[in-house]
Amino acid sequence: MKKRLMTAMKTSISEVMETMFFLPVEFGREATLAQCKMDKKDNLACRLAFTGDTSGSLILMAPEILAVQMAQNFMGEPGESLTQDHLSGTLTEMLNMVCGNALSKTDSKVAFELGIPEMMDTSKIFEQEIFTVVDTIESKMAIALIME
Amino acid sequence: MSYSILIVDDSLPMRSVIKRTLTAAGYGKSKLLEAANGKEALELMKNNWVDMVMTDYNMPVMNGLALVKTIKKDEVSKDIPVVVISTEGNDAKIKAFMDCGAAGYVTKPFTAETIRDLIVKILGEVTYEEAFDDSDEDLDF
Repeated sequence: MKKRLMTAMKTSISEVMETMFFLPVEFGREATLAQCKMDKKDNLACRLAFTGDTSGSLILMAPEILAVQMAQNFMGEPGESLTQDHLSGTLTEMLNMVCGNALSKTDSKVAFELGIPEMMDTSKIFEQEIFTVVDTIESKMAIALIME
Repeated sequence: MSYSILIVDDSLPMRSVIKRTLTAAGYGKSKLLEAANGKEALELMKNNWVDMVMTDYNMPVMNGLALVKTIKKDEVSKDIPVVVISTEGNDAKIKAFMDCGAAGYVTKPFTAETIRDLIVKILGEVTYEEAFDDSDEDLDF
């Protein structure tokens, strides 16, 4: 189930990033953050829980520079006018769109319920958690699907 | 003709995107009201005339489905069209909204054209003169 869900998540990430953020993406390796050379201290992170036939959560980690680029493209506002609320709102909305879209693709007859996406302290992410690297043109983010 | 459109979404960036989409679709001269959840939306509707509501589903305090049900039960507001814009494309969820009287359902991610086509169907086409006021804007080419 996790593999099927992750495949749907990847499709949704591509769709959401291209349609709403105008950023094409490529998927890199699946590994721990240390193996991906992503330092938790340099990144923002958010989490969204979902329940249904299968329950779990999705964690997104991205550097602030990518969050700024995403917010600029998403809202059509110049970078200097963006506040921390805009950046966190952009990342949580991206996660919300990806999760909702992917769960709909998996089985639209099963009623999944999404939680409210929230920013999280990156220090709370387990060192051994496996993330999928998502490369954009100038930066990269990482996404982890955690099943209960 | 300008309209009064209420945008209900707990995401500040998403409200901005919807406002930008409405402006691009020719509804920029409309009065655009914003609320972060269903409860805030109902409070705004007590004191403001609203021609159309565009709401998210998944919001804290009061979600979109509860908002649609409340609007459609009220004699004063029951004829106001409500469009749902949600990440959740589950058939059962869409049916629940449509059964409650929602005028349309758009799943995120969406394109500006999808939103435009739906609004035009509900509110009608806006003319160039209605969409843009030439007198107070200089266009540079």
